[in-house]
Amino acid sequence: MIRMQNIRFQYEKRPLFSHLNLDIPKGNIYGMLGVNGAGKTTLLKIISGQLFPNEGTISVLGFNPADRKPNMLEDLFHLPEEFLLPRVRVNEYLDSYAPFYPRFDTDAFHRYCSEFGVDESQHLNTLSYGQKKKFLLSFGLASNTALLILDEPTNGLDIPSKSQFRRTVASAMTDDRTFIISTHQVRDMENLIDPIIIIDSGRVVFNSALDTVSEQFTMQLERVEPDRDSAIFVDKVPGGWMTIRTREPEAEETTVDLETLFNAVVSHPEQFIAFTGGKGGVV
Amino acid sequence: MRLIRVMRKELVEHRRNLLIYTLTVALLLLVQELADAFIVKAVSGIGSGGTTYLTNFIAFLFLGGFIITSSAFSQDMFGRTGQHNWLMLPASQWEKFFAKALLSAIAYPIALTLLFSVASVLIELLALVLFGSPFTPFNPISPYIRKLILHFVATQSLFLLGATYFRKAHFFKTLLAIGVIGIGFAMLTTLFARIAFAPYSSGVFGFHFRIDSYTLWAQNPALHTIKWIYTLLYWVVMPLFCWFVAYLRVKEVEATDAIQ
Repeated sequence: MIRMQNIRFQYEKRPLFSHLNLDIPKGNIYGMLGVNGAGKTTLLKIISGQLFPNEGTISVLGFNPADRKPNMLEDLFHLPEEFLLPRVRVNEYLDSYAPFYPRFDTDAFHRYCSEFGVDESQHLNTLSYGQKKKFLLSFGLASNTALLILDEPTNGLDIPSKSQFRRTVASAMTDDRTFIISTHQVRDMENLIDPIIIIDSGRVVFNSALDTVSEQFTMQLERVEPDRDSAIFVDKVPGGWMTIRTREPEAEETTVDLETLFNAVVSHPEQFIAFTGGKGGVV
Repeated sequence: MRLIRVMRKELVEHRRNLLIYTLTVALLLLVQELADAFIVKAVSGIGSGGTTYLTNFIAFLFLGGFIITSSAFSQDMFGRTGQHNWLMLPASQWEKFFAKALLSAIAYPIALTLLFSVASVLIELLALVLFGSPFTPFNPISPYIRKLILHFVATQSLFLLGATYFRKAHFFKTLLAIGVIGIGFAMLTTLFARIAFAPYSSGVFGFHFRIDSYTLWAQNPALHTIKWIYTLLYWVVMPLFCWFVAYLRVKEVEATDAIQ
């Protein structure tokens, strides 16, 4: 689906990625996590062909995204964090844009709009930011593209909409589709994203499915302060210490807490070098 | 056909601006023509008609057309938020480019001609009824109008290139660039003339001779070749070059170009 090899990218003289490798096979809802400024949005823009890497090769759906071929674009929908909608009605937008996506499902679009509570009779520019986002989400999901990129999709959504977002995205997922969701609000994405890709300091420091993590590590809230040398990661949280330890073979698997995993990976990337996706995010 | 779809999308999204522009043109023509007919009637007692159509047509065709062309790519290529939709639209780069190029170079003069034709007929009828003015509507099929439109298509290509090349203030920067290039050419021409006609010159750039154009053309067949080259440059090479370079700019645009 996506293969990036030895990608180097810089904004003028500020280097961002150097020798970045990333493989994303099809058929999952990938969560892309990273601190502010880690390069998540830039990486998504490189994947969708809006930015060109300075070096390296990249293949998305079998195309070089920098060419922005229509055959690639009609199979890729990218919802950015900041967007601009034309001053048209919902149905006019549909008439103008839907024909560009060969597998666009109009019934599904109306269903998603209904689930999100988007009023289809309104002018798009009269909708609130959250409503606009839900409208574009509905459109993107209904486009049935093989690759759907969502950059901070829950920003601006109210609490009920966030739950609805998880339900709707999960229902739209099929084996032929791949979703990449970039976020720094990991709580919004729990039970939805898997595998997880973590970007830090211009590198992919983690790229693995959650069950692989739970096979090797245990994560639990401990009431008594643990011995820091016996754990891979300890984080003080309300009510105790979230701890990551190497899992003993006979120990039960625990649920992965995304926030703890993220903090652990970002603070101790060397402990998770085996989870960088085979060749690793860094050469 | 995808190109048609892209053009349709452009028209739907800019429908409101186009409507405002159309109404402004129509209203301006109405006010000017009726005011003119009224004043002439009041002063001379006879009606007058169709006096300002051509002047307005030239102004709207060239000035209006150049401004519209200059802003055609502004939001889509250089807008921080608007660029995304355009880059991600499932159409090829040339379809996205040609949709805007054809709309501004071909569709605009045709639509403007139609607007002037229809508006002038209605205004002239009104002037006839109100002031007894002679019925002289705008003539869209005159050879002069055709020639103006062809000149617009050729020169508009410069502004199309400016629209894709400059990231902001496209219109003024294009004008400035044309001015600078024009001054450069003028200096080169003067230098050439100073060297070629050295025996007739006095001082640095003073010349003492009169050119009889008939004799000049008759005695210098090479001038016909120069004229032919100039015609080719103006009508073919310049527009094709500008369109091609503008297309290349569209092809290479990326998110870092967005500034507005």
